[in-house]
Amino acid sequence: MDPKITEVSQLFDRFKASFLRNDYDTCSNLLSQLKVLLTGFKSLPPLFADTPNAVHELTIARDIYEHAVVLSVKIEDQDAFERDFFQLKPYYTDACNRLPPSPQEYPILGLNLLRLLVQNRIAEFHTELELLSSAALENPCIKHAVELEQSFMEGAYNRVLSARQTVPHDTYVYFMDLLAKTVRDEIAGCSEKAYDYLSIKDAKQMLLFSSDQELLEYIKEEHPEWEIKNGSSVFFQKAKESAPCKEIPSLQLINQTLSYARELERIV
Amino acid sequence: MATTLVSSAGGMLAMLNESHLSLKLHALSNLNNLVDTFWPEISTSLPKIESLHEDEEFDQHQRQLAALLVSKVFYYLGELNDSLSYALGAGPLFDVSEDSDYVHTLLAKAIDEYASLKSKAAESSDESIKVDTRLEAIVERLLDKCIVDGKYQQAMGTAIECRRLDKLEEAITRSDNVQGTLSYCIYVSHSFVNLREYRQEVLRLLVKVFQKLPSPDYLSICQCLMFLDEPEGVASILEKLLRSENKDDSLLAFQIAFDLVENEHQAFLLNVRDRLAAPKSQPLESSQPKPIDTVSTQNVSANEQDDIQMTDGDSSSIVNVPVDPTETMYAERLNKIKGILSGETSIQLTLQFLYSHNKSDLLILKTIKQSVEMRNSVCHSATIYANAIMHAGTTVDTFLRENLDWLSRATNWAKFSATAGLGVIHRGHLQQGRSLMAPYLPQGGAGGGGSPYSEGGALYALGLIHANHGEGIKQFLRDSLRSTTVEVIQHGACLGLGLASLGTADEDIYEEIKNVLYTDSAVAGEAAGISMGLLMVGTGSDKANEMLTYAHETQHEKIIRGLALGIALTVYGREEEADTLIEQMTRDQDPILRYGGMYALALAYRGTANNKAIRQLLHFAVSDVSDDVRRTAVLALGFVLYSDPEQTPRIVSLLSESYNPHVRYGAALAVGISCAGTGLSEAISLLEPLTSDVVDFVRQGALIAMAMVMVQISEASDSRVGTFRRQLEKIILDKHEDTMSKMGAILASGILDAGGRNVTIRLLSKTKHDKIIAVVGLAVFSQFWYWYPLIYFISLSFSPTAFIGLNYDLKSPKFEFLSHAKPSLFEYPKPTTVPTTTSTVKLPTAVLSTSAKAKARAKKAEEQKANAEIASAPDSTSAAPSGGKGKTSGEKDGDSMQVDSPTMEKKSEPEPSFEILTNPARVVPAQEKFIKFLQDSRYVPVKLAPSGFVLLKDLRPTEPEVLALTDTPSSTTSAAGGSATGLQSSSSAMAVDEEPQPPQPFEYTS
Repeated sequence: MDPKITEVSQLFDRFKASFLRNDYDTCSNLLSQLKVLLTGFKSLPPLFADTPNAVHELTIARDIYEHAVVLSVKIEDQDAFERDFFQLKPYYTDACNRLPPSPQEYPILGLNLLRLLVQNRIAEFHTELELLSSAALENPCIKHAVELEQSFMEGAYNRVLSARQTVPHDTYVYFMDLLAKTVRDEIAGCSEKAYDYLSIKDAKQMLLFSSDQELLEYIKEEHPEWEIKNGSSVFFQKAKESAPCKEIPSLQLINQTLSYARELERIV
Repeated sequence: MATTLVSSAGGMLAMLNESHLSLKLHALSNLNNLVDTFWPEISTSLPKIESLHEDEEFDQHQRQLAALLVSKVFYYLGELNDSLSYALGAGPLFDVSEDSDYVHTLLAKAIDEYASLKSKAAESSDESIKVDTRLEAIVERLLDKCIVDGKYQQAMGTAIECRRLDKLEEAITRSDNVQGTLSYCIYVSHSFVNLREYRQEVLRLLVKVFQKLPSPDYLSICQCLMFLDEPEGVASILEKLLRSENKDDSLLAFQIAFDLVENEHQAFLLNVRDRLAAPKSQPLESSQPKPIDTVSTQNVSANEQDDIQMTDGDSSSIVNVPVDPTETMYAERLNKIKGILSGETSIQLTLQFLYSHNKSDLLILKTIKQSVEMRNSVCHSATIYANAIMHAGTTVDTFLRENLDWLSRATNWAKFSATAGLGVIHRGHLQQGRSLMAPYLPQGGAGGGGSPYSEGGALYALGLIHANHGEGIKQFLRDSLRSTTVEVIQHGACLGLGLASLGTADEDIYEEIKNVLYTDSAVAGEAAGISMGLLMVGTGSDKANEMLTYAHETQHEKIIRGLALGIALTVYGREEEADTLIEQMTRDQDPILRYGGMYALALAYRGTANNKAIRQLLHFAVSDVSDDVRRTAVLALGFVLYSDPEQTPRIVSLLSESYNPHVRYGAALAVGISCAGTGLSEAISLLEPLTSDVVDFVRQGALIAMAMVMVQISEASDSRVGTFRRQLEKIILDKHEDTMSKMGAILASGILDAGGRNVTIRLLSKTKHDKIIAVVGLAVFSQFWYWYPLIYFISLSFSPTAFIGLNYDLKSPKFEFLSHAKPSLFEYPKPTTVPTTTSTVKLPTAVLSTSAKAKARAKKAEEQKANAEIASAPDSTSAAPSGGKGKTSGEKDGDSMQVDSPTMEKKSEPEPSFEILTNPARVVPAQEKFIKFLQDSRYVPVKLAPSGFVLLKDLRPTEPEVLALTDTPSSTTSAAGGSATGLQSSSSAMAVDEEPQPPQPFEYTS
């Protein structure tokens, strides 16, 4: 066997061991070493060179990146998630005819959809969705994300929140928590536009907080511009005052007219 | 192949964000391969890659790789500036030899950038503009590669554009065909280098390279030197050639001289002539030719010639006998070349050609004369103008002589122009010019009874005869100017003096004319203003400011106008140097000065197609408040664009549809000027609707312009010529036509058949130099709007369309060559048919049809063989088959009738596809490309030129030469001019013993 592959496999084994031990720091170190080693393989994307060990190398590389994605969720690093996911993606899209499909494929794709939802990148969410086959859409991991998005769009926020209980994979929990936050921001944004003020009680209900305390903290952190008066109602001091003042651009008009006059003079 | 496998570059882009350097590098190099397909994806990550380029942690290679990637993405995004700057950052990774669109585009961009930087640096002449060394390196790499690959033309073009004269020199010297590359380079520098100074630098370099060659192309060197205004160089080359043992070298020297003369740069030619070293043993000749009066100019050369001839034969009266035979030979050749350089040889030969080939159709004039109303003086004098133009340079004044009564209706200024017309007819008749005009000239103070108008006209005529060759006549004109106070005579004398001493920048003359100007007489002042300009043409002297100041002081519009034009003339061809003056004039309050500013723009940027000038002119054409300025601005476009006639119709096409008739008029003349003699189809299409414009003066301008475009175009090559001729006739005959357009039609008829149908209007010489005299002539001509007598200036722009082959003795030997085209394409227009039989009897048909000519030629040839021994003295007797001396019109008539009958029979034969022409022959510009020299001919041309003066090398010098026959226009033997005749026969070998009747001095009965 190729010594490089052996090296990678050994390193990867160590990575998996520490991964199981939840020793994430060691994992990160090992992962970056692994990635560097992977660049030495010609058979990996984007080159896809036809080396004798291509299938083996591709499998290992895919495995490594799948673990990398899961690791990034564990250490709650969204950037790393995105990075690793994009590097993993060619293994699913472009290498599918060389490799047997991975069991991890749909959970990870579902995770990515969830991430997009959390980051409120709806356009990209749908782009990703379009790229999936109809069979994939039936997969519970994907279906979960799609249903979430539908509820989210409908405004059925309670359904979104309750979906936390039905996650198909334990890695999803992290994103579901984040999603709750996204939902709340969404609601806050809407109420700001819709109401001049709300009573604390209504606000609490609206923003799905269980206690006044939580609400006040939220306001303090996210919307310091909101005013709480009399301890009973929240005033949204939004940018209503930015009503456009319609001034006649007289100078511009004068200039324009003058230039028309000049141009007319020049018609030959 | 790899690129097709991946569906997205997302993975690689994500990898860029990895913290590990080698991962980034891996991603970069992969992206660099993918960029051609995935640039849209990559473009979103540009900032990231850019920051990698600037990342200090990276080593050089990686940063350059990042730069290359960014550059490629920017290229795909169409941001070439950014792309270029990053490509420069990529250093050696940017491979100039790579064959991809990206590299090609960026290289082009790099060269553009570099060129613009370099020229900016050169223009602002400060060192602050620092050219990026990396950019320079790329351009140099490219130039080297071009040279190595043998793509010399590209290398040269780029080098010129980038102002890298060192590279240019390298490219030229390393090319395999140095001669070819050099001539290409000259062509490029004339047609594409816009800046005058820089062009001179290039030319100087070329001359340097030329001189290093083992067998230099002296013709081209001398052209360059002329352009650089370095008479010393030309003189030394000529002298070297003249001193050579080889006869061919002196032929070459003569050829160079003729080519130089064609460019009409009088001051330069005089300089060259004066710098030619005199033969060693003849100290007498070392004195420089002094201004001498007409007759003696010829005398001097005659004397010189005599000297040498006599040393061979009888050496009685000569003191300085040249001992050395080589010196003798040199002296003899020197005489010839001086004759050529002074322009006399070519003028004389041209005159002979125009006289002997004159094909003007008197019937046209007769029709005009009969149809115009007697009382309409405008049309009357227009007819006189038309006659003069039609016979310009032919010395044929039959029409005038036959219609003395009719002519006498010209009074006052009409008389002035009628007399001046004689000057146009006799243009170039240097020897006898003065005696011809003698009856009309002011008689030494005593008033001689002549009207001042005819006297003034005669002085103007003298100027026209001696235009640009006024060495001999200057003194006389100065005397006349000084001795009169009549403003009409002053007017004529000023114009004449200006013409005769054109471009000589003679201080004394300038002062004298200035004195006339300061008398503040409107009539004389106007002429003085123009004259000062003529005198100072192209000198860019500060006299212009003096003139400008006076123009502000005087009250007379005429004077201001004359001065404005004069100022414009002084900046002729100065391009950027003139900008200050132009600015000053175009911003003036006085519309007349702004109008002069337009002319200044036109003349300073003549034939350069300079974008800035065009933009300025167009601006004035649409925005000035004065119609005169607008008209002139459009007209001036014609001058700026004449080197590129195809452009003009396109540029002025919108203007020609303007609501403003003045602009339309200007558009018509602009097309007429720049497309003159080309017969360009677009030009004709543009002018056609204007000839039936609603406004009379627009019709006038369009008709004149059309005639200028169509001059010498035969009906066979463009059927619209025939239509136009019929249109002219119709307008002239139409009783209800406006006077203005009628006048235009009459003038147009004249221009269409100008110079006995043997001349065209040409503003560029064959070497693509501008012909100063021609351009100046047209510029002043376009002033006829204000002052009709200036119409005659158009004769300055006429150049004969002839092939004149000359042997070592500067005689035309019998020499045949081929015109590989149907004869009908370029033949003379058919003479107009006589409407009624009665007029046939009276009509002297001076015109022989082509076949008649051919037959005559055959006869000549026979006769010549018989007279082979005496052939060195071409005798015009044998030219006329009738053999009669003192031809009468009746005889001529009969002659042509005889030959006409066989012509009719030949009509049915199919037209041959070629035509044998005999030296000297008429070769119209369009015909030039069909001219071929016969293989087994006795003579070989020194330069393969299809027209103009060509020296012929004699391959069989031992055989007796047969000279082609030339009719020499004769001089008058009128009482006043008697002195000229005696001298003439001894001087020129072309003895004239058959002379047409001298024109009768006609009297005005006003």
